[in-house]
Amino acid sequence: MTAAAEAHPHGHGRGDANLHPPPIHYSSRIAPPIVGIFLFIGSEIMLFGSFFTVYFFDRVAANTHPWPPIDPATGHPYSRPVFVALINTCILVTSSFTMHWATQSIKRGHRAGFQAGMVLTFLLGLTFLLGQVFEFLRVGFNTSDTSFAATFFGLTGLHGCHVLVGLAILLVMTIRAFRGHFSPEHHHGIEVGGIYWHFVDVMWLVVYTTVYIL
Amino acid sequence: MTEAAHVHDIHSANGHAVHAPTPPRTGWRRWTGPGWLRALWFTPAFGSLWLGITVLLRWAANWHPLWKSGPIVTVALVSYPVGFLAAIGAFDYWLYYMSGRPTRPDLHEGHGARSWRDYFRPNPDHKVIGIQYLCTVVFFFIVGGFLALLFRAELAHPGDQYFNPQTFNVLVSNHAALMIFLVVIPGFAALGNFVIPLMIGAADMAFPKLNALSFWLLPIAGLMLIGGMIAPGGGPSTGWTCYAPLCSHQPMGQIFFNMAVQWAGASSIMTALNFLVTIITMRAPGMTFWRMPLLVWANFSTSMLVVLATPFIAGSQFFVLFDRVLHTNYFEAGHNGYALGYQHIFWFYSHPAVYIMMLPGFGIVSEVIAVMSRKPIFGYRLMALSLLAILILGFSVWAHHMFVAGMAGWLRVPMMVTTLLIAVPTGIKVFSWLATMWEGRIHFTTPMLFAVGFIANFVIGGLSGIFLGAVPIDIQASGTYFLVAHIHYVLFGGSMMTLFAGIYYWFPKMTGRMYNERLGQLHFWLTLVAFNLTFFPMHYLGLQGMPRRVADYAERFAGLNEFISIASFGLGASTILFIYNMVWSWSHGPKAAANPWRAMTLEWQVPSPPPIFNFDEIPQVVGGPYEYGVPGARHAIFGAAVPAPVTAE
Repeated sequence: MTAAAEAHPHGHGRGDANLHPPPIHYSSRIAPPIVGIFLFIGSEIMLFGSFFTVYFFDRVAANTHPWPPIDPATGHPYSRPVFVALINTCILVTSSFTMHWATQSIKRGHRAGFQAGMVLTFLLGLTFLLGQVFEFLRVGFNTSDTSFAATFFGLTGLHGCHVLVGLAILLVMTIRAFRGHFSPEHHHGIEVGGIYWHFVDVMWLVVYTTVYIL
Repeated sequence: MTEAAHVHDIHSANGHAVHAPTPPRTGWRRWTGPGWLRALWFTPAFGSLWLGITVLLRWAANWHPLWKSGPIVTVALVSYPVGFLAAIGAFDYWLYYMSGRPTRPDLHEGHGARSWRDYFRPNPDHKVIGIQYLCTVVFFFIVGGFLALLFRAELAHPGDQYFNPQTFNVLVSNHAALMIFLVVIPGFAALGNFVIPLMIGAADMAFPKLNALSFWLLPIAGLMLIGGMIAPGGGPSTGWTCYAPLCSHQPMGQIFFNMAVQWAGASSIMTALNFLVTIITMRAPGMTFWRMPLLVWANFSTSMLVVLATPFIAGSQFFVLFDRVLHTNYFEAGHNGYALGYQHIFWFYSHPAVYIMMLPGFGIVSEVIAVMSRKPIFGYRLMALSLLAILILGFSVWAHHMFVAGMAGWLRVPMMVTTLLIAVPTGIKVFSWLATMWEGRIHFTTPMLFAVGFIANFVIGGLSGIFLGAVPIDIQASGTYFLVAHIHYVLFGGSMMTLFAGIYYWFPKMTGRMYNERLGQLHFWLTLVAFNLTFFPMHYLGLQGMPRRVADYAERFAGLNEFISIASFGLGASTILFIYNMVWSWSHGPKAAANPWRAMTLEWQVPSPPPIFNFDEIPQVVGGPYEYGVPGARHAIFGAAVPAPVTAE
């Protein structure tokens, strides 16, 4: 008789599995949402990767126009607002530190620090996004101005979308922070949102370096 | 069903108050609760709202005309589906969370299916989702197959018969896109959804609500592809590859294609993420990685590929969409764009995608062959490691699709070498299956027939793949029917055969009923014969120079093409047998035992169909999953007291 046939075919319990789940057994020390957000970020990095890939193909492999191209109106190359974007970069980097402050505060049960950290992070993120919008409006070139503009708007726009999503998450977290929903024992929501925000932040450094400085 | 009546008053042994289901809404409130009635009015309302916002924004920015097909269609293909998803309640949990109200304990209401209606709503039960997936996949398999029969009818004779060349290209493109994005990839997700949590001894996936959502993106993607065919101006006609800049200058149907790929891709990524987290965090005690069934290993590798590669096709479809709607110049050569860049990015997904479409099949075949040969799988660890090898190598071969595309010459040889290298881990798997069968007590049931048929066909496809991987032969055979033969030998003879094997193998577990064995075997033989008659001659046609994706061909190819068309109708007929068997057996088949195959893996140790939460208590895994014929070997113990975790003192 094979081992499989010996295996007990159910009938040993009370049939509870039709009513409620058995207690969950976790086979990993890291909670599922944290594993999930890291894998998701892996996927996000690849999405940005495809945008960087097309950027370098257009810039290096195509290379039929100067980079940035000449503005037909002025006869000079389009200029990228390196300095304004640098200030924006500082704002976003700061927001990562305030996010970290918020996370650490709730882990230690400092509610005031947690709430202040969340509000500051949200406001800094909002400032960044508004800065980005104004930059888009005043940058002086359009999406159709060669692949330079396409990749500029593509990378910064993709990142802007991530900031927007991040802000939505931060807003929910902030509201819940003021309603007292998180505790030192229960703060996966904050941790997951925080990890995402740090990712958005670090990704901006790469985007900024590539699009504005290189 | 009786369970529903019991739910009201039963308190379980460990003190859970079992939640009474919320009373059904009555009167006009039926239109506001999550469901199809709400979808009826909310989908158009939400979709139109965003169209209005788009027009307003265009008006504010002074862009004319305000009503322009490109942006309007793009927005509509996002807003209407999102409205639909919200209406059927796919976002309910997150919207509740976002509204800032305190979290409520998950009472698992809505888990499982008690009537057929439960299959038509977002259902967090992985088993229900598996069946939802499978039925959707079979539906689109029929549609995609029907498209193939249509253009085979056109190809039966040289000259124009029924379709003009543009329509022909639409049929070919949609056949490929449906079969790839709506059949093979989600087909494996279907079986994985049903089986993986059971196999690793978990009550459900790690994120059940995400799972429910990711299924519902799939029919949206499929209907979008079909809708593209009847879009004003004409359907997508650039093949499933949608090469730029051609596809940025196509009729409106192409936008449907771009967006459908995004929806299918999002669904695929979410499911893969769920699989990965489930496999990493939800395994039963004792279920180490080296005790996991190979199907779980296969889906682990596949999900890795999906999570890391699928964003690249999302990117590629974004770029061609932007080129069209936002007038960017990613791929327009006159404006510093680089058309070959599209192909690189596309194939950086789409080559790993062929492993996404094959690795879970390897897993299914490993299960079936070990069980039906009554022997331990040969070289279990090597089987698992070869999956990982394919996963890693799969990322290094993409440019072999571009040998004739005019890419950098130095890329050819490295890509050829890595391509041929991939035959090594694949060969390991084939020989392991053969060695598993060697001197086994083989039971040629339908799943086993399909598994063995798969090996035979897949080896043929693999060999023609080695031909095509070699640069000189590829330059000769590129863009001919040799390629069509190759892709169908690996995707139909390979993936679809394994999918059939898996469907027959788990049919008793899924439905609680047994399929008709005689019909199943007839289906196999008809499929095998008709498939080979259809596709084997294409090798010859291709080497003679018959180009693919062309509605007409030279007179000298006429005889073989007529033969192929007739054989392809036979292949279509074999599918009718399959559908009939599935439908009839699901409703009238004899009741299936819990473990009709005498398999050791965990899904067979619970009743058929499994109870809603799979296990009364989580089993304790004590050994490997394939120890058939090994005296005293056990895979898992049920009902044993779980030993207390050892703590380091």
